Order: sequence, then structure tokens, then C-alpha cells
Amino acid sequence: MSGPAIAPSGGRGRAIMDALTPLLVALAAAAVVLMLAGHNPIDVYGLLAVESFGGVKRIAATLSAATPLILTGLATAIAFRAGAFNVGVEGCVFVGGLAAAYVGFTFVGLPAAVLIPFALAASVIVGALWMLLPGVLKARLDVDEVVTTLMLNFIAISLTAYLVNGPLLAPGSANSATPMVDAAARLPKLMPPSTLNAGFLIAIGLLVLYWLWDRGTASGFETRIAGLNARFAIASGIDVPVLIIKMMLLSGAIGGIAGGIHALGSVGRFVSGFSPGYGFTGIAVALLGRGSAVGILLAAILFGALATSGATIQLFSDVPIEIVNVLQGMVMIFAVARFGWIIARRRRAA
Amino acid sequence: MIDNVIHAAIVMTTPLLLAALGGLVNRVGGIVNIGLDSMMLAGALTGLIVSAASGSWPAALLAAAAIGALLGLLMSLAVTRLDANEIIVGLGFTIAGAGLVRFFLKSAYGNAGTLNLPDVARLPEIVIPGIADIPVLGAIFSGHDPLTWAAWIMVPLTAWFLRRTRAGLRLRAAGAAPQAARALGLKPLTLRDASTVYAGAMSGLAGAYLSIGVVGIFNEGITAGRGFIALAAFYFGRNHPWPTALGALLFGFFDAFQIRMQGRGVPAELVQMLPYAMVIVVLTMMAVATRRSRAKGTA
Repeated sequence: MSGPAIAPSGGRGRAIMDALTPLLVALAAAAVVLMLAGHNPIDVYGLLAVESFGGVKRIAATLSAATPLILTGLATAIAFRAGAFNVGVEGCVFVGGLAAAYVGFTFVGLPAAVLIPFALAASVIVGALWMLLPGVLKARLDVDEVVTTLMLNFIAISLTAYLVNGPLLAPGSANSATPMVDAAARLPKLMPPSTLNAGFLIAIGLLVLYWLWDRGTASGFETRIAGLNARFAIASGIDVPVLIIKMMLLSGAIGGIAGGIHALGSVGRFVSGFSPGYGFTGIAVALLGRGSAVGILLAAILFGALATSGATIQLFSDVPIEIVNVLQGMVMIFAVARFGWIIARRRRAA
Repeated sequence: MIDNVIHAAIVMTTPLLLAALGGLVNRVGGIVNIGLDSMMLAGALTGLIVSAASGSWPAALLAAAAIGALLGLLMSLAVTRLDANEIIVGLGFTIAGAGLVRFFLKSAYGNAGTLNLPDVARLPEIVIPGIADIPVLGAIFSGHDPLTWAAWIMVPLTAWFLRRTRAGLRLRAAGAAPQAARALGLKPLTLRDASTVYAGAMSGLAGAYLSIGVVGIFNEGITAGRGFIALAAFYFGRNHPWPTALGALLFGFFDAFQIRMQGRGVPAELVQMLPYAMVIVVLTMMAVATRRSRAKGTA
């Protein structure tokens, strides 16, 4: 994969190398898998690069696939920053996606300028509410948020599957899906016929806000302190429990809008099995991007590229698309294996 | 009818119980193992392949336990030696493991997702004469395979191991107070590795139970998230073997119930939510109880 080949000297160079190492180790490990299966890894990786970035159309497809990952990566990073180990963004994508789709097919007749914000607001609110329980339980009762958010993922997947199989099933439809949303609820496409849509711009906008918040606001600074050392933060007069609840709600809201954008921008409705693990990939994105806005963008584009090109290379060569999952899982493992920016905090907090 | 339900519930409990007991020991040793499901999946596939190739179910179980143990070792080394976060590593194993299994199926067998091999040696049923025909009792005690019996025998054994044996006490020390354990000359990291290897082996067996015990084929969705339900079981049981077994039995009953109720008006999806919801309730109740006892202590 093409990355910045020459790292600038000094602290920044080291940071870039730190971020690139897990990727390189994962690529090497996946190369072994490819070789064992009788493929030439260099050819496969070359093909992946060409299929993801070779031409305007392919770049558009890559950015389209990166859109939900930017958002889930951001949602995860915000919770991590506050010291909340939220692995429940996947569930938010499901409930947020269903909420947006529901508004989109129910309030037919509203103009796009009203319907789209309405539907996205629904996904934001439902996503945030989905994280209310684990946020409050962690902040007030010290209940392990890893377990509660992990469990809530499965609950969200089953609950939405129930809703689209029963109460919200499209009339006359045999498969588990809601009706299509109104045309006015569809996010405008940026470069038709590519699926790249206005959701990408929303994701970039939120990423910029995150960067500004992190760098230039008292709240961003307090969150960073609370995540690094909760006891110090409390001693400094920061209300850490309230901060954790706020950041969990924000994380859920962004996870929810990831689902809403996926529903209104790409799928056009909610179907069971709505998200192919965007929330979990978001964890890999946040870790690989090391919590920085630019890092999250690059990591999301990388995983978006793998997702789109993986599908193509399966068509044109006999390399199974699952090599993408193998890479993704290994990136997660190696991203924390070498340098744990979140573990160190968790240890210290414990 | 009742006999059928009891029998099916016990069948669906076995994989949960095996993996949950493994995860429990792992948790007592200090590692929350989120990768149980990937180890089950690997065990299910390996068990089926070895069973078909060798025609011997004990060999298949051995191979499944071995592949699970190997994955457990890799996972543990990442956590204990490379200082990686166990939750992220566990999720990474889940994603990479599912990917590897499908990659392997497509590469080696050229099919997408399902593997149906000839001459698979299935787990035998142990029919107990005399009891087999008695209603209820027959369904509980007769007609089950050796792995189910082994899983239930492991419940008191695990309790005894953790309470009464030197190794069990050391493992608990490694989990609860690694620094103190190290000061006593123990090797907490090695003990942790051993517990993760054990959890992997048990999960591998759980997976093989699904492939060569229950269905006789392999499918990429064969575990259906049961590794995570096993996690729910030992959280539900608060790391005690008997309550964990009760949780596994309860969730196994839900599983059997939901399979039977499919297409009969009872929404299976809502039943599937129950184990996960119950864990959140139990954790909340525990936290409230802790808070109350703490409040009493200071008053």
C-alpha cells in the first residue's frame, strides 16, 4: 500500500513510523498466508493498490467505502480519548441506520432539505441513547463498559433484525428489509454513478470539528487529561463521570450517524445484516490512526480501499476476499501489540 | 415434547459450557478472552477435517483442542509478552480468525462457507439401559455423547481445581494480584499463558462438538456467536463454576427454544437477545450490591 515512504526527521517521523509499523507487520503476516495459498503477495498487493487508487472512479469508490469507517473510527476514538473503552459502535450503526431509514420511508412528501436533516437527527439521537446505559453504568456504578457495550452490539443486531422481520418489514417483501426510503431522503451523490455521496462531506466535516475540539478547546483538553489519568483529572476539578457520560453519548451519536449515512447514502433502506462490521473496523481505524484526525482519515481510506479492491480482486483473480479480514484483524492485534496508547491509560486508571 | 426440549437444551448447553469453563479459568488467571469464538470456529473446522480423514472421533477432538490451544497460546503471547490489550487482541482474533477460516475453505476446498465431507466420524451416543425409557430422566441422562458428560464433569473439577489445588491457587493469585504473585516467586505471565492455552483447548472442543457432534458438517456461521454467549455465561456466573454452568444451561435452553420456535410466531431474534441482556442486568446488580455494602461500611 502506498504510504508516506520517507518519514520526516524528529518526533513526527517517529510517530509516523509507530503508526506504520503495525500495518507493515500485518501486511507481512498476510503475505505469508497468501504465499501458503500459492499467491504472489507482491502481485496481490499491487493489484489491490491499482484497484483502489488507479483512476478517479476507483478513488471515488474507495472514499465511498471509507465514509462509514471515518465515522465509526471517530466515534471509537472519542470514547477512547475520554478513557471509556467503547466497543459498542457497531450496535449504534445498526440502531442509527434503522432510525434514519424509518424516518426516510415514513415521512414521505417532505422536501429533501427537511427530510434529510430529520432522518440524520433521528440516527444521532437513537445512537446516542443506545450508549446512554453503558455510559451511565460506567460513570456512576463503575460497571465494565467493555462488557456492556460488547453485549449491546449483539442486542442491537438481534433487535433490529426482529424489527425488520416483523413490524417494519416492507409489505410484500420476503427478505428482512424495510421499504426503500423516499427519494428526497437519499443523500445527494457527489460523482454519479459512483456511490460517493454527501455523507463523505459530513464525515470530513465532523473530522475537522474533532481536530479543532481536540486542539483548541478546553473541553478537548479536559477529555484528554481525563483519559490519560482519571485521578489527576478529578483532583484538578474535572467532573470525570459527567465527562465520560457526555463522551459516550457523543460516541454513540457519531456511531448512529454512521448508520444513518449508510442507510440514506448507500443502501437506501435498512436490511438485516446492515453493517459488515463497520463498528469493529472503526476500532482498528481508531487504533491505527492513533486517535488523531488525520490518522483516522488515512486509516479509514486504507480499510475502505481494502474493502472495495478486495471485492474486485476476487472477481479477477482467485484470491479470496477474506484476505481483507485477515489483514484487518492483524492490524488490530499489531496496533496494540507494539505500542498501546490506550492500554497504558487503562492500566494506570486501574 | 418435554423430553425433546430437555434433550435439545442439554445438547445446546455443551458447547457453551465447554467454552465458558475455559474462559472462566482464563478470566480467573487475569485475561478476559474475547477470542473464544474464533477458537471455537477453528476447532469446528479442524475437528471435521480430522474426523473425516482419520475416521476417529477421539483424534478429531484431540486435533480440535490442539488448534484451539495453539490460537490461545498466540493470543496469550500477544497479551502477556507484547503488552497488547486483551480486548483488542480478542476482537482482532475474531475478525482475522473468521477471515482465515473462509480464506482456507475457498483456497483448499474451493467452496464458500460450507464444508461437507464424506465419512465423518460423529460423536457416539451413550444410551443408558433402564434409564433411557423413563420420561424426563431418560432425556437428561441418556443419549448424550462423551463430550457432554466430560463438560459436566469438568464443572466440579474446575471448582475443585481453583479452590483446592496448588496450581489453582497460584492461578488465582496471578489473576488477582500479579505483583504479589511475582514477589512470591511465581511467574504470573506463564500462569496466564497456561490458562489461555486451556481456554483455547476447551473452545476448540466446543467447536468440534458443533461440527462432529451436532450437525456433521462445517459452516462458516456454525458458532453463531456462541463464543460470546460463553463469555456471557461466565460473566453471569461471576467466575464461579456452578453458577456459570447454570448460566450456560439457561442460555442453552434459550438456544434450543429459539431454534424450535423459528417460524412459529415467537420471534427468535428477541430470544437471542436474552443472554446478552441478562449479563448487563447481572453486572448492574453486582455493582449496586458492591456500592450498598461499601456505603454500609462507611456509615
